[in-house]
Amino acid sequence: MGIRDLLFGRSRLKEASPEQLFALSTARVTLEAELGLRSAGRAGICFKPLSAGEFARAERELAELLEIAARDLGSHVSQSRDEHGFQWIVIEDPEFEDLVTTVHLVGTDLAARGFGGQLLAAIFRFEGRGRPVFWIYGYKRAAFWPFVPTGNGQERDNAEELALKAQLEGELPVEQDLSRWLGLFGAPV
Amino acid sequence: MSEVRRKALGRDVGLSARMLLTGGLLGLLYVVFAVVLFSILDVGLFAMVLLVGGLALFQYFTSDKLALAASGARVVGPDEAPALHAMVERLCALADLPKPKLAIIDSDVPNAFATGRSPKHAAVAVTRGLWERLEAREVEGVLAHELAHVGNRDVLVMTLASFFAMLAGVLTRFAMYSGMFGGGRGRDNGPPIWLIVLAVSVLTYAISFVLIRALSRYREYAADRGAAVITGAPENLMSALQKITGEMARIPQRDLRQVQAMNAFFIIPTNIGARALALLQTHPPTEKRLAALAEIARDMGRPV
Repeated sequence: MGIRDLLFGRSRLKEASPEQLFALSTARVTLEAELGLRSAGRAGICFKPLSAGEFARAERELAELLEIAARDLGSHVSQSRDEHGFQWIVIEDPEFEDLVTTVHLVGTDLAARGFGGQLLAAIFRFEGRGRPVFWIYGYKRAAFWPFVPTGNGQERDNAEELALKAQLEGELPVEQDLSRWLGLFGAPV
Repeated sequence: MSEVRRKALGRDVGLSARMLLTGGLLGLLYVVFAVVLFSILDVGLFAMVLLVGGLALFQYFTSDKLALAASGARVVGPDEAPALHAMVERLCALADLPKPKLAIIDSDVPNAFATGRSPKHAAVAVTRGLWERLEAREVEGVLAHELAHVGNRDVLVMTLASFFAMLAGVLTRFAMYSGMFGGGRGRDNGPPIWLIVLAVSVLTYAISFVLIRALSRYREYAADRGAAVITGAPENLMSALQKITGEMARIPQRDLRQVQAMNAFFIIPTNIGARALALLQTHPPTEKRLAALAEIARDMGRPV
């Protein structure tokens, strides 16, 4: 936010930058080979729907676009609304590359329609170490962070998250400000 | 197309102009005040500027702790208030703000405030009543309003705006005492210095008080607009405001009490009328805020 925005108290939502998403495709090798974490073939995109008619139209067109993309790539797409009033697009695809591509497509499409600011995060599920491990991509931060819920209420395994950060830092743009590591408990992925 | 329209939502040209005018008048007033003071007082003023500066800095750096302690708010962790934390986390991620400390005030009256000198040191407090009496989407609107205050750095803006008003307030008292105790003989045959200082300080204080309050009200409109931008749903804040003021009407007006606590020097006659009283409020009247939010909702393509 610039000084003039501050002076006049103007708020604007920071635009989303989905570009860094593809870094996860490259990091997958390390995740699998060194950490024993495999993609569960599920990813979700979380955004705040607007109450405007204009946004409803954009959402409809996005759904159509996703249907076509899903048919081409062979992935399965579903939508749901969570208890916080956020909209989820859940993508299932055994091919990790296709998963990332479809998630990226949603981000670029919403951004192109001027609604990039509504994007909250994308979340990818990994398995193979007992409890699931999630990598969250923050669209406003253009960075990833790990999320390991213990399954006990809103508890996270911070030790494991920090270990994951240290191990993946070389390959992934990992969010350095720990206070930005938003959790997504009960994500539908 | 939509890109342009969406960007324009965050700004209000009329509001910006009013803020600029108010800020400009305040600056001008302060310059005149400083010039007059420096030309008549040459000793002691520097020490006083330092004192008030130190006070303002202290207030600025401890604003979060002071406000939380004064309101009896208790900082709560994610295990104590998971739903509140989850809601704020998401709003922060949308607004690209670090997550503030969260506190709960054990009061039945629905209300909330934000404090802290910077987004990194911010705290947001809500009353138990806000959480219990309002629906989740309304609470979200209120929290987004408070986060907009944090993002706009309103504590910094208001501390800066009131710095010289604080000095004028201190000087007023100082001049009164020196007058009372017979200090400060006048030069030649002019009026005694303490009288000039008193007059100038009182005038500065009075004018800046009205200007600062105006600025505060404009910042409220800006935060309302920010809440609409963050949540994308101005109607949620609108219904929250209606509920809050409905509940608030039964208790003594908080703002009025603040006015009285801040300065015993001003006596506001109760029959002065709503129009004049409105000048002294920190928040705009609810009807005006609702009207402004309805306007934003129309701009968003969502008439309410």
